[in-house]
Amino acid sequence: MKPAAFRYTRPGSVVEAVDLLVTNGSAARLLAGGQSLMPMMVRRLERPSLIIDINRIAGLDAIEVLPTDIRMGALVRQEQALWSTVVRREVPGLAAALAWVANPVIRQRGTVVGNLATNGPAAELPAVALALGAKFIVRHADGEDILPAPALLGARERTLAHAMITHVLWPRRPAAAGFYEVARRDGHVPVVSSLVTLDGGDCRVALSGVCRNGLSCPSMARAIARRFPGLPAIAELADALRDDLTGPVYSDTYSSARYRLEVAPVVSQRAARLMTSRIGPV
Amino acid sequence: MNEPLVQIAMTVDGAPLSARVRPRYLLSDFLRERAGAPGVHVACGHGVCGACTIVVDGVAVRACLMLAVQADGATVQTIASLPVLEGTVTEGTGLTPLQQAFRDHHALQCGYCTPGLLVSSAKFLAAHRAPTRAQILDHLNGHLCRCSGYANIIAAIESVLQ
Repeated sequence: MKPAAFRYTRPGSVVEAVDLLVTNGSAARLLAGGQSLMPMMVRRLERPSLIIDINRIAGLDAIEVLPTDIRMGALVRQEQALWSTVVRREVPGLAAALAWVANPVIRQRGTVVGNLATNGPAAELPAVALALGAKFIVRHADGEDILPAPALLGARERTLAHAMITHVLWPRRPAAAGFYEVARRDGHVPVVSSLVTLDGGDCRVALSGVCRNGLSCPSMARAIARRFPGLPAIAELADALRDDLTGPVYSDTYSSARYRLEVAPVVSQRAARLMTSRIGPV
Repeated sequence: MNEPLVQIAMTVDGAPLSARVRPRYLLSDFLRERAGAPGVHVACGHGVCGACTIVVDGVAVRACLMLAVQADGATVQTIASLPVLEGTVTEGTGLTPLQQAFRDHHALQCGYCTPGLLVSSAKFLAAHRAPTRAQILDHLNGHLCRCSGYANIIAAIESVLQ
């Protein structure tokens, strides 16, 4: 299929882009990498009447080191972040997850911020952002806000209609990280994915594909930290997961809620094994 | 809906080109229908299969996930630019090293996925001089081939590395 008709604009600045969003409301969509939005438009699941192409706004493609955070602009491509030495050192959990996102050609075009803003229920990065405590810099008509990840990735599937996420802030936290997922086909959206990171006693676990949105899992993280450098049993992780659930377990045509609940502790144990294998022998 | 046409200009396989297009015109369709580049194969049409992979301003992209208006001012290279992308052709056959390897290893049958595979493999090999097998498989994740079973495609790519 082909996209429905729309008008196209290519603003040269963030201010101009936000003006267009304010004027056009929810009928407008921002286009960055387009690797999620374009397939949805082609299948007419999305029919925006205005496309605001932000690809030529200068200054949004940088990965910057701030005192406590790594700041990524809305045009930082996934492949750029994946191979960034700064990201690998300071946000290793993000780098570990990015290696599993789609394939190199998609990652060269798709952006980190766009993937987060799309906030697919099984997508890797929203869960990672929740677990690692990412924040968003959001520009609207009256100025700029810094919002914690749950404000944008928690309750709703789609983000703000009248504002633009200009940057994502990742707390600097060198740590060991392991990521694992099961997908129906390599490079496709996973059924369930899990990130485990450990920095001293600070363990974080992120799960995607289990609830409607990404899940940060403090209970599972405590179980993993408690057993380190060994691994918790699957049953122990399954018990912990029940405490971490924030809502009904997600299901779709291919993978039932029961299957997702059963596979999530296994996937998390494998992610933990990959993580510990990078620190020392289990 | 009122669809105002947009004036665009780009270079396709070395030739300058300008046109007026609807915003929703996909770059893949534009290249096939208006730019004389039928080597851009369209199969799935929504970014899954990789058959339409081309190079825009030096980066491999899915032509079906870009709008023609987005390529305004860009340098576009399709399969017709493969000798430029690989930087060499074999004397006598006129084939590039990747084309020769695909032929030698029977890495295609119907050939529909082949232009996208060759273009993105050329970019992949330019970026990775000594890729691991895992990296080659990650790269091939982006391409569906219904004939070959992939074993011969992997063999062809590995043979170019030697």
